[in-house]
Amino acid sequence: MNTFRHAVAAEWVKTRSLRSTVWTPLAIVPMVAGMALFVGVTESLQPDDTVLGGSLTGAVLAQFAAAVFGVLVVSGEYGSGMHRTTFTAMPRRSLVLAAKGLVVFTFTVLSAFVASCLGLWIGAWMLSGKGYSDGEPFPALFGVALCIALTALLGLAAGVLLRHSAGAITAVIGFLMLPGLFAPLFGDFQGWISGTSPQVVLQKMTQTSDVTAQNAGSLGAWPSLGLVAAYAVVLLGFAGVRLVRRDA
Amino acid sequence: MIELRELCKRYGGRTAVDGLSFRVPPGRVTGFLGPNGAGKSTTMRMIVGLDRPTAGSATVCGKAYREFPAPLREVGTLLEPGAVQGGRTAFHHLLWLAYSNGIGERGVREALERVGLGDAGRRKVGGFSLGMTQRLGIAAALLGDPGVVLLDEPINGLDTEGIRWLRGLLRELAGEGRTVLLSSHVMSEMELVADHLIVIGKGRLVSDSPLREFIERYSRASTTLRSPDGERFCAVLRSRGAAVHETGNERYVVEGPDAVTVGSWAAEHGVTLYELTPRHASLEEIYTELTRDEGEYTAKGAA
Repeated sequence: MNTFRHAVAAEWVKTRSLRSTVWTPLAIVPMVAGMALFVGVTESLQPDDTVLGGSLTGAVLAQFAAAVFGVLVVSGEYGSGMHRTTFTAMPRRSLVLAAKGLVVFTFTVLSAFVASCLGLWIGAWMLSGKGYSDGEPFPALFGVALCIALTALLGLAAGVLLRHSAGAITAVIGFLMLPGLFAPLFGDFQGWISGTSPQVVLQKMTQTSDVTAQNAGSLGAWPSLGLVAAYAVVLLGFAGVRLVRRDA
Repeated sequence: MIELRELCKRYGGRTAVDGLSFRVPPGRVTGFLGPNGAGKSTTMRMIVGLDRPTAGSATVCGKAYREFPAPLREVGTLLEPGAVQGGRTAFHHLLWLAYSNGIGERGVREALERVGLGDAGRRKVGGFSLGMTQRLGIAAALLGDPGVVLLDEPINGLDTEGIRWLRGLLRELAGEGRTVLLSSHVMSEMELVADHLIVIGKGRLVSDSPLREFIERYSRASTTLRSPDGERFCAVLRSRGAAVHETGNERYVVEGPDAVTVGSWAAEHGVTLYELTPRHASLEEIYTELTRDEGEYTAKGAA
């Protein structure tokens, strides 16, 4: 337990002492708030959209930033060879991965929660009294933050497996977007396919009118979030096994 | 104490380390020498648990490296100097390392001072010269006050001042009873710092002996002399079986008898000597010859 505490302390110092790994997760706040402001000013909502959905339009962008953050936390080390320094200091690699996961998840979930609250506040302030229904902000705001943070963990796993920034970012963004893009080609199975995408799960959570049972499956927002959590657990587990077995 | 037993590493069909066994005891500076690609770095990576041996084992103080809960307190390691992220300050690089092994901030400041980077701690590593990056790596190795120090090519990038400093530091560490192993592919570096030499070539042990013994075993002794009676003395030397070459300006190189013998022969024949110097082949020469065709010398080294 002591060893794990030390590993978390070390990984937190690493994360906060590099510009890229501080600003990428923090950028979530202006992304969501900025999009909320944009939607508020232009009123670019469907009549059946909720204030919550409109305010959190930027959450999809935030999800990309979170994925990139997760990748950078590990691929930056592989890029410079510093992973060897890490594994000589902390030979229990599964513990290093767990510590990285905790730091990435906590940082992202906090940043995403603050961003979502701020976005909703801006949206509510600008859109109230204009005929849109409010939506159900609680517990959806927690769900949005969790979904974004779980996506960061998917990035972390991709970074460990591919060890290369550009490759891992491409892979994880592909995983976020491709099911939604290609699902319409599969006719009746569209809902099943796009429903598996973490991006669509986020849209379910924000209750936008873009998401219907027909195009995103009938699985509710929270069970879908469970699916994303399962992806993260499985991928991180796989990444952990690869990390322990291979030469550094 | 570092101990290797029949250590092997194969990558696909290529054998990088081939049945390497040796011990590195505490209290002296052991040089780990071999040409590029001889398997030095691979061996060091296996000692610190980064690479898994295909066969055999490497232990530090009787334990596999991966078993240490806080390894920086047992073993200080300098791997390739590029193994840092340029965007981080020197202080923060050492700080995460320190925290990972339960070492406090004071240890970080002390390590920075010790390698002469006290004023550079707030600067980003990306802007460091190779020499400064090496010093940072050495600071990282000393962070946990370890009993065993492993340095892979530590002299790379250091200037003359830096090399002198490192030599003093290594002497001091060995003097305190620590185990010091440093690798290099340049013999002249080892000549200055090591007490003991382990030479490998193509992943196999070529020689494991004290530096002095190594020189004596492999070098052909020769003597240079300067004499106005050179012509006459050469005839004497040749008649007694020595090889003599004239190098000009009344100077001669004698191979075979040592300087003491040459001197007494000169006295015997009333030859005037202006200069008489015993000379060993430099380590660089011996090493180049030893590793040029490693296969030929393997048996000789192991004997």
